[in-house]
Amino acid sequence: MASNAGAMDLRTLDDRGLELRIAEILISELKLEDVTADTFDVGLDLVDELGIDSMDLTTVALVLQDVFRVAIDEDDYPRLKSVRAIREYIRSKIAGA
Amino acid sequence: MDLMQERWTTPVVERPAVERAAWRFREILALPEVGERFERVRRWFHLRESTYDVTNRCNLRCDGCYYYEGEKQFARETPDPTAWRELLDAERARGITYVVLAGAEPALVPDVLQACHDAIPLGCVATNGVLPVPGSIGYRMHVSVWGDDATSARVRGMPGMLRRQLEVWRGDPRAVFVYTFTRENIDQADDVVATLAAADAKVTFNMFSAPVGYAGPLRHDAASLAATRARMLELLDRHPRHVLFSPYSAVAHTQPLGLHDLFGCSYPRCNPSTFIGLGRSFRQYRTDLTWDRQVSCCVPDTDCADCRHYASGSAVVTARMHRHASHPDTFRAWLDYVDTYLAVWVAGYEKGANLCRQPPAPPRAVGEEERS
Repeated sequence: MASNAGAMDLRTLDDRGLELRIAEILISELKLEDVTADTFDVGLDLVDELGIDSMDLTTVALVLQDVFRVAIDEDDYPRLKSVRAIREYIRSKIAGA
Repeated sequence: MDLMQERWTTPVVERPAVERAAWRFREILALPEVGERFERVRRWFHLRESTYDVTNRCNLRCDGCYYYEGEKQFARETPDPTAWRELLDAERARGITYVVLAGAEPALVPDVLQACHDAIPLGCVATNGVLPVPGSIGYRMHVSVWGDDATSARVRGMPGMLRRQLEVWRGDPRAVFVYTFTRENIDQADDVVATLAAADAKVTFNMFSAPVGYAGPLRHDAASLAATRARMLELLDRHPRHVLFSPYSAVAHTQPLGLHDLFGCSYPRCNPSTFIGLGRSFRQYRTDLTWDRQVSCCVPDTDCADCRHYASGSAVVTARMHRHASHPDTFRAWLDYVDTYLAVWVAGYEKGANLCRQPPAPPRAVGEEERS
């Protein structure tokens, strides 16, 4: 079973630190080039502007679950629209945990 | 690849769902064969599908035909290949990378097929297989088989149909024969698949899914679903080099519940969301080049409650990767399903050995009651 250790670590990250970690995951899983976590536009719409497809979004969601130890429901995918939105979503999951 | 080493006679195990979060996704991917297979199928995640009725004519009249149900059969035909090329160019521009060309009978309009292929080279033609299709059209060819020759003569009105289909498609690497199990033809699959295997032809399985309002003898019941599952597994065991299928494919398509109730159909007809995936991009064009979101799905006019169609499952089960990523066995089963779907639908994709020997019941979504 997942422990709470990741969630505890998450509480020590500020918003920018959390966004950087999310951006790293996106860059890695989507094999994005010419962008770094530092330069990733946190407001970029992952579907409308980046063109991410449903299977890649699923892969990202599963990795986010692993890294941040939060359960992401399939029905919540529309809330994962940008780095900023993902950060807010993860914060809300932690707060509700 | 040596599928001869695989044997699937082990009874299907209806295992309780494993507790969520017991396995991390990355732990599952780190297992032997799993990560490699995931990377292999993942290369095809870019496929974005739409379907097109390219003609309203057919050389056969089959009982239970999906095309001659509903309003789509009355749409005006567009015979001009240039018009189709312009449509497919526009489709490519909006991100469509895979086309399914259906009908009535697409082989009657080879110039239209060629125009489509010139615009979008990945796709499939759904054909009754009686007429040849020029070799320059490099799509997968799905040749429909509804039983043995006696059944085909009765249901489709053509004597010697399998022999004719093999005359046309023998040795053609584009061809995959699609055997549709009805309530009436389960036993006939033995001889049909043996004939196809002897001809070194590839075959996969479909489930008859009743059109809206259909209550005839082809519709499955609980007994025929169970018998079909057993027969699918036996045939997969008996003809592993020629049957493109997986144990989990058999399980997922023979549940008491249809695919929509099991997995939540992703096609626009059942899915109001336009956020991402099929709900966002899928269209089902009629022969007059129009489409209607309200009725768009892979096999329009199917009764959604009875839908176990192989085309539907290829999208609907695949899209539910998330809920299959809870346990190694469940994820292996999902990988087998996706590997099968790619081998059936993508010309040149070679199926790997199935990874899951005892497929689990289809996993529930979070918050849903246990199924199966």
